Amino acid sequence: MAFLIRTIDTTAAGREIVRDRTIDTDTLSVGRAAENDIHLPDLAVEQRHISIAQGADGMVVVEALGTLGFGLDGRVRTSATIDPQTGGEIELGSSRLTVAKDAAGSLTITITQAGEKGAKVDTVRGFQLASTLPSKRTMAWTLSLAILVLFLTVPVFTHLTRDRQEVGPNAQKLDRVALDSTWSSGTLSLAHHDLKDNCEACHAEPFVSVQDETCLTCHEELGNHAAKPRLAEGMSVPSTFDAIQWSIAQKLGKEGPGSCTSCHLEHEGNVRQKAATQEFCADCHDALDARLTDVAFGNAADFGKKHPQFRPTFYTAYGQKDPVRVSIAEMPVEKSGLVFPHDVHMDQFGGVARMAMSLPDYGDPLDCASCHEPGADKVGFKPVGMEDSCESCHSLVSGRGAGGGFTSLRHGDVDDLMEDLARIDRSGPRRPIVSGRSRPGEFATGGTYAANFGRPASSLIGINRALLPGGVCGDCHIPTRKGGRPDLIPVNLPDRYMQHGFFTHEAHKKEKCVDCHEATTSKSATDLLLPDLASCRDCHEGASAIRTKKVVPSGCAMCHGYHTPTNPWPGDHPILQSTPDGRLQRETDSVASISALLKK
Amino acid sequence: MVASARSGSKPATQQSFAQRERARNADHVGFLRHKAFRYLWIALMLCAATIAGYVMIDQEPRPNGGSWYGYTLGTIGVALIIWLSLLGVRKRRITPGQWSLKAWTSAHVYLGLSLIVVGTLHTGFQFGWNVHTLAYALMILVIVTGIYGVAVYATLPAKLSSNRNEMTRSQMVEALTAIDRQLETAAQPLGREQSDIVIAALSQDIFFGGAWGRLTGSYRGCATARALNALDTAAGDEASAKVHALLSRRAEQLAQIRRHLRIRALLEVWLFTHVPATIALLAALLAHVVSVFYYW
Repeated sequence: MAFLIRTIDTTAAGREIVRDRTIDTDTLSVGRAAENDIHLPDLAVEQRHISIAQGADGMVVVEALGTLGFGLDGRVRTSATIDPQTGGEIELGSSRLTVAKDAAGSLTITITQAGEKGAKVDTVRGFQLASTLPSKRTMAWTLSLAILVLFLTVPVFTHLTRDRQEVGPNAQKLDRVALDSTWSSGTLSLAHHDLKDNCEACHAEPFVSVQDETCLTCHEELGNHAAKPRLAEGMSVPSTFDAIQWSIAQKLGKEGPGSCTSCHLEHEGNVRQKAATQEFCADCHDALDARLTDVAFGNAADFGKKHPQFRPTFYTAYGQKDPVRVSIAEMPVEKSGLVFPHDVHMDQFGGVARMAMSLPDYGDPLDCASCHEPGADKVGFKPVGMEDSCESCHSLVSGRGAGGGFTSLRHGDVDDLMEDLARIDRSGPRRPIVSGRSRPGEFATGGTYAANFGRPASSLIGINRALLPGGVCGDCHIPTRKGGRPDLIPVNLPDRYMQHGFFTHEAHKKEKCVDCHEATTSKSATDLLLPDLASCRDCHEGASAIRTKKVVPSGCAMCHGYHTPTNPWPGDHPILQSTPDGRLQRETDSVASISALLKK
Repeated sequence: MVASARSGSKPATQQSFAQRERARNADHVGFLRHKAFRYLWIALMLCAATIAGYVMIDQEPRPNGGSWYGYTLGTIGVALIIWLSLLGVRKRRITPGQWSLKAWTSAHVYLGLSLIVVGTLHTGFQFGWNVHTLAYALMILVIVTGIYGVAVYATLPAKLSSNRNEMTRSQMVEALTAIDRQLETAAQPLGREQSDIVIAALSQDIFFGGAWGRLTGSYRGCATARALNALDTAAGDEASAKVHALLSRRAEQLAQIRRHLRIRALLEVWLFTHVPATIALLAALLAHVVSVFYYW
């Protein structure tokens, strides 16, 4: 039995070299070892890998000699039978053994080498890092597209296609625009914190700056500093640089000076909105009279250096209908309609003091707090009431009542008082004409026909004298006549003296009352016991002053509001930079704010 | 042609010796020292001016990219970034004349560095998880990789040269192939298991290991190293000793190739961040500018 072994090698140039040899044996051994009939110098091949034998029926039997199989027509086998008529291809490592019967009828095994698998290396490219990384172009495109889609296309698209919703304090706080939080340049202030996911509530139109109209949907109750044309007239002429800035800003859709956003910057951190600086106010108010000639108030630029004298609002004449505003500099006289010498009441050794010490309600000489009780807001004081503050000494008791208690004259209405006074003598006993005897029957006291024949003089005199100085009313009130009848001057005391600025007593509680109010030496209620500008300046100087134990740098906003110039700050108003306790509000911990603090 | 165009309109022969000497000397000055650090000075002046402005302008309530000075810095920054990114266009255009590529590169490096100051001042030191800080972070990434690039260009080529040992890249690969051929022959007498180990070593790609392997020089799956370890224990007969010796030579040759790969990777890796990050930065910058004015 003979096998024709045909080896085909390919030269580097691609030429084929064919070598034939015939082996006369029944069983061919194939393997890496040199003693094999077919020697394949290939490490992937076993030393003795397979045997190829011709069976009795002419079929070719291929058996693996070791544990490793062989490939036959693409499948791994350990044993197989090949019909030489159809032929088969045995795969061993990189060699292919094609088994076939040639035309002469002898069994031929053709050995060819499979092409080298990926052996060729592009040496120059392989040395480049680019061969192991995605290309720069791919990375660049991927990253840029991701950024443009996520941070530009998605927010813009969802903003343009969103359902418009009502804006306002009661509107639903829904975030209709996706991913626009990535556009936020900083945290919103405390007041606007609820809007943090609802950018479109303020940024309603694309490429249009936040409009006053949008702010006013929530802040509609806000007062105007002045009417817009008047504001414009009063404003100082902007510097060329500011004018250029505004013209650029207005071309880009900003509303211009005086708009909400020109002062109220947002996205500046989780802080309270700050009040305007002194410079902001001084810009206009430093020389306002030059532009607005009809204003009643003086120029102001710095509380310590340039501020008009205070002009409290109070009554300067008895029975005046409305209080008037007068400068303290004019040494005004207050006509409240009361007689009240503060010095007598505050004298620590006088009669009033002795009286107060004897009364269980006081026990000590009077002080301010004996009569003046702070109001609930601690800003001012409750009105002093006759019944609570005066009556323990200035008694209105008129006699004993039927139930054993005391009766009092009614306070507050002259007609009531007259009635009460007239009743005193009617209810008083009449001295009997004859002692030891009484009138009989129905004429007796308490009977139907009993009559009081006593002198009416005491009650009439009492009524006549009550309103005069020294009378029960005249102690504190000033008599007058109204419609031919005796009457009293009505008491006129304003609720607030300083109506165009904000002052709180709470912030000054460490001070003594008499340090500012000269009550101990005031002999008359006509003294206006308000401190003047100079006495406030003992501590308060302008915003640029350096804080010491005594000096409090005081910007305009400490006492004045921009939107509420005639009212105190609302209760929830941001704390101003210089708080009464003297601590500077630390806005954030950012490097910028620290450097800003250091600069100051 | 190119030479005469570069050195001016006059033909080379008409130039004075001093002129030619100057031109020749200039050719040997690196882009960092170009024109006695002209662009370094320009960049330093830009930084000084922007810092001075930042310190002197009392921005209320705090410095911000949205103030007039912020917009000014932002505009300078955008203009610089766009111009700097155009280096990629400029270097592909072989243009003669005033705008020498060296001058352009010198300005690219120094003005790019000045962006650290301009960009940071533009932020007003306000950062957050937003597209604005993304653009800033990308800018810093680009600048840092650029600094790295300049640094490795100054130091690594010498190492690359000394590692070559007067061999070209293809010679290194050929040396390895020669060892492989000897290994193949020497391994013929080996048994199945050992043959497989040798096959694994021979068939592994020379450039196996990926970018991470190249950068760190750590090749955990290296089949040659494994084969060395495995054959070490089984050493004894002559054939495996010979294979072992050849494998050691292979490992040495591979080590040289890998050192070369590592230096090259360290030399090239910055561009794989610098360039994509630059393009991403341009995209982020577009999103940053549009978003600011969209929610104006």
